[in-house]
Amino acid sequence: MRQAILFIILAALLPVAVALQDLLPSIPPFQARVQLLPVVFCFGVLALPLVPSLFFALATALVQGLALLQVQSGQVELGLTVPVVFFLLWAIMLQMASEATQGMRWEVHAFGSALVTLTLLGGEFLALCCRRGGFPVEMTVLVRIAIPSAASLLLAPLLYFMLRNLVPVFVETEQLPKKPGFHR
Amino acid sequence: MKKIQIASLVLLAVLTVAFCMLEAGTLRWLQSGMLEIVSPISLSGSAVKSSIGSLGKDLVSLDQLQVEYERVLSENRKLRAENNGLRDLQQDNDHLRQVLGYRERSSFRLVPALVLGHDAGAWWSTIKINRGSADGISPDMPVITDKGLVGKTTAVSSNLSEVVLITDENCRVAAKVEGTKEQGICAGTRDPAGDLRLTFLSKLADLQPGQKVYTAGVSGGIFPSGIALGSVKSFHARELDGEAILEPSADLGSLEEVFVVTGAK
Repeated sequence: MRQAILFIILAALLPVAVALQDLLPSIPPFQARVQLLPVVFCFGVLALPLVPSLFFALATALVQGLALLQVQSGQVELGLTVPVVFFLLWAIMLQMASEATQGMRWEVHAFGSALVTLTLLGGEFLALCCRRGGFPVEMTVLVRIAIPSAASLLLAPLLYFMLRNLVPVFVETEQLPKKPGFHR
Repeated sequence: MKKIQIASLVLLAVLTVAFCMLEAGTLRWLQSGMLEIVSPISLSGSAVKSSIGSLGKDLVSLDQLQVEYERVLSENRKLRAENNGLRDLQQDNDHLRQVLGYRERSSFRLVPALVLGHDAGAWWSTIKINRGSADGISPDMPVITDKGLVGKTTAVSSNLSEVVLITDENCRVAAKVEGTKEQGICAGTRDPAGDLRLTFLSKLADLQPGQKVYTAGVSGGIFPSGIALGSVKSFHARELDGEAILEPSADLGSLEEVFVVTGAK
């Protein structure tokens, strides 16, 4: 029951994160944008047991994929395959990290959020280069990947402690003896 | 592993494969559904954002008034404040008259819309506006300001739409150069400066900085003819064609109000 409540709260946070990140202003000079979805995704994956976290990853992929979907002349530029594979792989890796640290830790969440943002933006860029041609690795591109990743690193602890303090169900989950995850 | 976990993993695998096999039509329908979910948050968030912005402005005004209070008589201060208020109203009035005037002058049927925000995607140039299918908007409608072309609608929900800007590489527009017979295809670049690239021009085209570029309005296309796109910044000949870099006519970095072209008058 507690897991179901957790899942619903986290799933509801996904569209909120998408709406909020659109409202946040860009960061000069290269108009880098803050990404909130990877931060919420990392928190969800670390807070949930393995199977629900995989479903949560699928929900995140759906939201992210649809938020960035571009259909031009009936052709989809980037479908849902890339985000689905990406978030499922990250969910498994973060579950393993959570297992290694014997539970949810804010450091794992912070660095995980930064790495997910970094690989998400880098992956999108590579996918676009494959689709549109060319591989223009310029300072602009690097900054547009680095700044959101750094922003995720800084925002992750804020979200972590805010959710822990505002939503008691997250604290209760951490007090469970062991999560049914990767153990033998 | 429990049976329920195995069943869940099977369900997950089925959902994963199903998501990966979705076609463009279904994805667009799902995207509209997601916009429907996101729209109340976006609309209320945008309202809160503008309230916070105006609160900041009010605080500055109060501060300035406080300084004035130290310097002038109370009656004088009251008159100044009243005068300031009237000036603000006059500015608003002038702005709205300009907007209304453009709408009336235009030969298109226009739906005015407010820009809610730029999308957070790093590699796409899109914005969200507060009008949707309930206002007669559908995908692939041109979006303009009184200065020029902004882009076209893509995903549309009942009261929220996504607009891909002309600075996006995906938004290609047939364009013609003022005072010449040159025509080409205009598209955005990945450069954050927000310039446009006009390609497929003649190698011998002698374009000068400042020359205006307009939409060409090809048959069966989305964009009507004669909408300002930008002005030429530079021109250079390539191996097979000529390429010009354009500065967009509309200020795409600080869009607040736009019009969606829903048809001709």
